[in-house]
Amino acid sequence: MKEICRSVKKKDHDPKIEGRSVYVDDYNLSANGSKILCGRLLHSIYAKAKVLSVTVPELPEGYFWVDRNDVPGDNNVNIVLDDTPVFCRDTVEYIGESIGMIAGPDEKVVEELLKKVEVEYEELEPMLDLRNGKETFFDYHFGHGDVEKAFAEADKVYEEEFITGYQDQTYLEPQGMMAEPEEDGRMFVHGSLQCPYYVHGAVARALGTGPEGVHILQDVTGGGFGGKEDYPSILGCQVAVAAKKSGQPVRCVYHRREDLEFTPKRHPSLCKYKLAVKDGRVTAVDADIRFDAGAYSTLSAVVLQRGIIAAPGIYNIPNVNVTGKAVKTNTAPCGAYRGFGAPQTFFAIEMMMDHIAQDMGVDSIEFKQKHFVKQGDMTSTQGRYHFPVPIPAMLDEVDELCDLKRKHIEYSKPQSGRYRRGIGFSSIFHGAGFTGSGERDIIKATAKLRKYADGTVEVLASNGDIGQGVRTTFPKIVAHELNIPLEKVYYSHPDTARVPDSGPTVASRSLMTVGELLRRAAIKLRDIWEDGKEQEVEERYKQPDFMIPFYLDRFEGDAYPTYAWAVSAVEVEIDTYTGVVEILGAYGNFDVGTPVDYNIVVGQMEGGFLQGLGYASIEKMNYDAKGRIRNNSFTDYLVPTSMDVPNLVAKMHVEEYPGGPYGAKGAGELPLVAPPAAYLEAVEMALGGMKKHRLNAIPFSTEDVILELNKEVL
Amino acid sequence: MNGIRFRLNGKDTCYEGSAADRLLDVLRDEYDMKSVKCGCKEGECGACAVLIDGVLINSCCVAMGAVDSHEILTVEGYRETARFEALSKAFADLSAVQCGFCIPGMILAAEALLSKNAHPTEQEVRTALSGNICRCTGYNAIVNAVMNAAKEGDGLW
Amino acid sequence: MVNGYKPTTLQEAVEIKGRTDAIPYAGGTDLMVKNIPDAVYLFLNDIDELKQITQDDEYIHIGAAVTFTQALADDLVPPLMKEAISRIAAPAIRNAGTFGGNLGNASDKADSVLAGFALDARVRLVSVSGERNIPFDDFCVRRGVTNIGDDELIAEILLPKEKCALPYYYKKIGGRSALAISRVAFAGAYEVRDGVIQAISATVIGEGKFTRYREVEATLIGKKVDEVRANADEYAERFIEKMTFIRGRVSTEYRKVVVTNLFKDYLASLE
Repeated sequence: MKEICRSVKKKDHDPKIEGRSVYVDDYNLSANGSKILCGRLLHSIYAKAKVLSVTVPELPEGYFWVDRNDVPGDNNVNIVLDDTPVFCRDTVEYIGESIGMIAGPDEKVVEELLKKVEVEYEELEPMLDLRNGKETFFDYHFGHGDVEKAFAEADKVYEEEFITGYQDQTYLEPQGMMAEPEEDGRMFVHGSLQCPYYVHGAVARALGTGPEGVHILQDVTGGGFGGKEDYPSILGCQVAVAAKKSGQPVRCVYHRREDLEFTPKRHPSLCKYKLAVKDGRVTAVDADIRFDAGAYSTLSAVVLQRGIIAAPGIYNIPNVNVTGKAVKTNTAPCGAYRGFGAPQTFFAIEMMMDHIAQDMGVDSIEFKQKHFVKQGDMTSTQGRYHFPVPIPAMLDEVDELCDLKRKHIEYSKPQSGRYRRGIGFSSIFHGAGFTGSGERDIIKATAKLRKYADGTVEVLASNGDIGQGVRTTFPKIVAHELNIPLEKVYYSHPDTARVPDSGPTVASRSLMTVGELLRRAAIKLRDIWEDGKEQEVEERYKQPDFMIPFYLDRFEGDAYPTYAWAVSAVEVEIDTYTGVVEILGAYGNFDVGTPVDYNIVVGQMEGGFLQGLGYASIEKMNYDAKGRIRNNSFTDYLVPTSMDVPNLVAKMHVEEYPGGPYGAKGAGELPLVAPPAAYLEAVEMALGGMKKHRLNAIPFSTEDVILELNKEVL
Repeated sequence: MNGIRFRLNGKDTCYEGSAADRLLDVLRDEYDMKSVKCGCKEGECGACAVLIDGVLINSCCVAMGAVDSHEILTVEGYRETARFEALSKAFADLSAVQCGFCIPGMILAAEALLSKNAHPTEQEVRTALSGNICRCTGYNAIVNAVMNAAKEGDGLW
Repeated sequence: MVNGYKPTTLQEAVEIKGRTDAIPYAGGTDLMVKNIPDAVYLFLNDIDELKQITQDDEYIHIGAAVTFTQALADDLVPPLMKEAISRIAAPAIRNAGTFGGNLGNASDKADSVLAGFALDARVRLVSVSGERNIPFDDFCVRRGVTNIGDDELIAEILLPKEKCALPYYYKKIGGRSALAISRVAFAGAYEVRDGVIQAISATVIGEGKFTRYREVEATLIGKKVDEVRANADEYAERFIEKMTFIRGRVSTEYRKVVVTNLFKDYLASLE
């Protein structure tokens, strides 16, 4: 393994483990020593209603009511489209939408006052039906080849529907933002967030100040996983408006129930797949994909794009037709969550391929293997897999880890008795970095290095450390190129007043894309290095030459420069008396190129892997006929504990990418994507296979096992 | 003599507020013990765990009156000890700290275990940490770090 | 103290209970989640008399303020009870949660109460005007309701020693491996002599309330264990017929199927 892979002590280790790190809720006073007002939001209690009137009780001295009338600039939050309001307009569109905020010195008083605000609603009929929803925010279509002909000539056509539920990011630190008016008139906004420049754009627009009028700092952030990609822009605008009105610092930290119920989650999905098979090979795929976007569009466009591009999986299928819709429902807007649309479609295609193999009476591992893409093949969007596809080798390595192939055949045989076993297998890619030409056309990342007279070097970039370790790995790259000790290079939490826009902390892009800019900047600095002098270098993103230009209107070209790859196998034993599914082992093999810090990367893989298993099994959340999410506490929304998957193994397979620093590719999202299908295939196998129990929905819980088995009895 | 007297990180103190106040809030707001994190306020995540008389307790589920005449340890006190050093080093060696929010509670859960069982099995470690939710790591690094600390810090516990 | 009473003796506590509306506070783990506005608490957590585990000729006595962790380390506590409480939530909750709290809280998912039901447990209630010693069956009315008097405190629970010594069956199913409320749980204890059932109990979490179907249990007494094992399905059905599953978060169908399976498994496992 390369020198750069060697693990180092994380730069933020000491302050975090010693409890000295300051998260947004930990400030006692604002930066200029003022008391901080507590802001709490009044949330809509209806999924759709006209707000006829809002009557605010008389407020004690020092307490403020804030709503859309207080927004000095534009009451639209700048995300992808501008349909999300800072505070609600004439109607509320989901349970939890912010009507207004009360800010004041004492949280208990604020809470009491909030209860006294009277809202007169006229209830309207909410749309809560993903399947039949007519209103779509985005409606995409692409394909290639002659799908109709392939279906007409097929030996057999397979059709099936797949359903996935919500998944909440469940970062341990709830959403929280704080705004402080500064003496020079600027608004300083900081908090728990992933993308300082997203918040910057949003707050500047809401306050109507222009970009110079605000600056945004990322505080130490207790986890994100995508959940703090867009929401901090909304909450940031709300506290900024409150701070503007009161002239005082205002902080709003969500309670866990608010966070679970009202903030973005993974899009529930309904995927209808139709595949043509001729002479034992899949010749066409027709996928109709619907994502439940919620009430506003927020990030649904880009989530859906990534989802539909992955629709054919890692299979070489010559004829492709894909439609994708982001359907509006009157529920909390869905947003980004690790995997970003791809977990839903990969789940569907992986289960579909498995079911076809079962129907054909062949082992699904072999069947899938026959269709694996390889270097040079065409992608779903008529781009190319430019680099080697290591999946076959990775599969063999997983086989060595857990005796996959033998067990896969063994457990497929009929089983009786109380306890029954299954093993499932799934393999996926994750497109590295932004989809399409976003990196080139929209983000245009810039990163800088500033060398001080004493020889220390500061990384200037806008990518937040949310636990994934960029405060360590960025300096590591720079120190490596400059050949100076790691202690001499540091990377603080970004403040948009000081750092250039190197883009958001999303899409597994930070290390691969911004890390590469920093590597090149470090080489530049090395070349001009003069002792004792303050020096600065800058590097800008350049799209790799080999890429086939991507056209979003046609979904044509290279959606990604390269791909990270993963193979997962999950072995289970079910108790047919109780439905309990014990995960005997979960095995993952991950290719993220060169792991720039081995421990950090393995930590990402293990963490994401467990989230993927949770998604498939115990993490159940849905809304009722009124559009209300009832699984809004940690008692009702369960994520895995330390006892749930004790045997979780993450192995690294390295296929270097020449465009990333030292061969690194995107990493963070990859490990979550493969486990769901592997898990469900294992459970289905243990239940006797598709012909007895065809499974096509996650999460699939203990309860579902029993309900499924009970069908057999009836 | 109406106040609530207790010992916090080795120092005697008296809280004059309501006995119904939540220990979590009082530790953070009145005593500036910011290592104690609020993850759910319902006893379901362990981010606010502290040691009361050496026993791991979620401070969100404790009313102040209950701690009268007891001794509380938070990471602010624990971080001065050799045991903490051993745990910190073991966590650092495996990069077991990601977002960091669960970590103070996790560290105290580890101390609570090791102080009663200096050489735990992996299963015992997993049980001891089972009330402390970590969403970042998948737990392997944390569990292994606690095992390593027990090994390397032999004699400390 | 402000908004609280912290007696050091049970007598004192009972007097306070008799004259105020203070809410009894033992471990706090359920109470604090309820977030009761303007609460005034009667703290019982430092009353030594309530923190004892003792025995006499007939009973194991577990004080109301005994924590689950304390009980798990005590040799007097029977294995069925230990198994049930060892899977409550997680260590920090077991360190604080108490037997009195678990019972008084009137949850239909209290693991220690389940074990108590299977063991014919009783509860001793005290007030200024005297005390009552009643079976769990009489104490637990339905979900959310007990028949504790306004002036009464739970002093201890009593487990009959002859029941504690019996072979038992226990199973808990939660939503995950730890930090999980029982969706379904089953506890039973039995005595077989010369191949004949002398005594048997069976009780569940999952029906939506705690109860014992003693008349059905009675039909098993005197039966040959071989015969019951061989016809476990049929005997289990007698219990299931009696049960009314109250709507809850987990579907009735699930709970009913699993309770049925566990009854069968229990009866088939008798030896």
